[in-house]
Amino acid sequence: MKKQLLSALGLSLCLGGGAAWAEGITFNGFLTAGATYGDSEVGTQDGNINNNVEFTNDTRIGIQLSAEVNPRVDVTAQLLARAKEDNSDVVADWAFVSYKLTDPLKVRAGKLKLPTFLISDYIEVGYAYPWIRPPQEVYFSNPISTINGVDLLYNAYFGDFNLLIQPYFGQSKGGEALIPQEVLPLLTPPPPPGTVAYLDFTAEEMKGINLSIGTDFFTVRAGYLETKVNAPFPGIDDDDVEFYSLGATLDWRNIVIYGETFERKIDGVANLAFPNQRGSYATLGYRIGKVLPHVTYAQLDEYDQEPFNPAAGYGQALEQESVTVGLRYELGSGAALKLEAQRVEPEEGTRGLLIGDPNDPALDDPSKSVNIYSIAIDVVF
Amino acid sequence: MKKILMKISYCLAIAAFLGATAAAHAGLAIIAHPSNPIAGITADEAAKIYLGKSTSFANGRRVVPVDQRQGTRSHKKFYKSVVKKDDRALKSYWSKLLFTGKAKPPEVIGDDQAVKKWVAEHRNGLGYVDAKVLDRSVKVLLVVP
Repeated sequence: MKKQLLSALGLSLCLGGGAAWAEGITFNGFLTAGATYGDSEVGTQDGNINNNVEFTNDTRIGIQLSAEVNPRVDVTAQLLARAKEDNSDVVADWAFVSYKLTDPLKVRAGKLKLPTFLISDYIEVGYAYPWIRPPQEVYFSNPISTINGVDLLYNAYFGDFNLLIQPYFGQSKGGEALIPQEVLPLLTPPPPPGTVAYLDFTAEEMKGINLSIGTDFFTVRAGYLETKVNAPFPGIDDDDVEFYSLGATLDWRNIVIYGETFERKIDGVANLAFPNQRGSYATLGYRIGKVLPHVTYAQLDEYDQEPFNPAAGYGQALEQESVTVGLRYELGSGAALKLEAQRVEPEEGTRGLLIGDPNDPALDDPSKSVNIYSIAIDVVF
Repeated sequence: MKKILMKISYCLAIAAFLGATAAAHAGLAIIAHPSNPIAGITADEAAKIYLGKSTSFANGRRVVPVDQRQGTRSHKKFYKSVVKKDDRALKSYWSKLLFTGKAKPPEVIGDDQAVKKWVAEHRNGLGYVDAKVLDRSVKVLLVVP
């Protein structure tokens, strides 16, 4: 993994950014290098943040190739290597062909990034947003990040306003869902608590829409997604999933605001892996020259979820709240340094998004909350 | 008589000085191909084109904008006075469009001379150059003082 990242980095630095290799072909890239540390024996549920200094959670590099076949047709591909992926292969995060029907209307086909939330589209490009990672109380909720299918981009400008209507249709194979800690005892043989394990799943008949309206300094968006989930686990067969999301962002006179909320409902045994949840966050920041300090409050709740009952196929809804304070510092052109400190507090007797209960009396140093410290450098080239 | 002559030459000297000064700070010219029938362009229209929000001139003709290298005087002036976005805001703006495959920033051609040559050779071209380098090979759509 390290070797791949280093050689990809070396190659990209040699080639330089925005280079045109040949008439109509361009190359661009982005990179994040990050380190994390949590102050409790209890770390995050995917095991990437714990009480050692780790580099896996946020480190990644992406390289994008774009070729104009003719004035109407573009081919774009993005290769992504993430330190947190188990395999050491560079994956094609997305690759598609786009055809311009009329000036505001494009149709795209291939492997597309799923626009579930405000920054989902460009979530890998750390440089494009203030935090090191977007609030997980919202962003963890959809494990599907790309869709194999088709979308329509109606992207029109009316005076100062930009309207985007983006319906999409497709499927996702090779998605992986983190098996919740509460479900581990159901596996045979049951792995010990604290095991990080994934379940392969497919999402079929995915259909949804992303709508957004905005000007240069604010955007409001809404999204809806429905799909059917299948997994090699008894009973997870064509289970219905519904996702609603709403978000807004403002960047005006150095005031920076982000806010989002979502609701998801999953029927059937898939509810064990994906319980019904609702979450939201609000971020407020103020830019002073090269520095952007910001604070975020986020919350994750159950949403119309039955109490935990594995025999009946009801999963454990997770609840937590967190407060994050962060600083983003512009390092010259196309690079930013970020520092963050987050206090995570699981609620309602659940473990939140942590791997266990940090207040467990069996721990050396039980506490109601966990503090996570992170640092990262984001670059675009 | 001598007094008048002195006054006239004094005025001419001042005029020459002012003229020279004005030429030295001639401003930024937004240019297109001479065959383009369009009469002119507003700063707002140019900004929209350079931000990928518009892909045609006001007369409907397809537009291909080109950029100078970051760091040139003209690049700094264009983005400060016409597009009105600082480097961070511009990079952030393009990150969100480029890395989502939605739009691409204009191709980078080089400096004033390179842009002038390119626009003179491309029917749909649009560029910005220091007014000092202007000649008949290109058509001026707007001058930004």
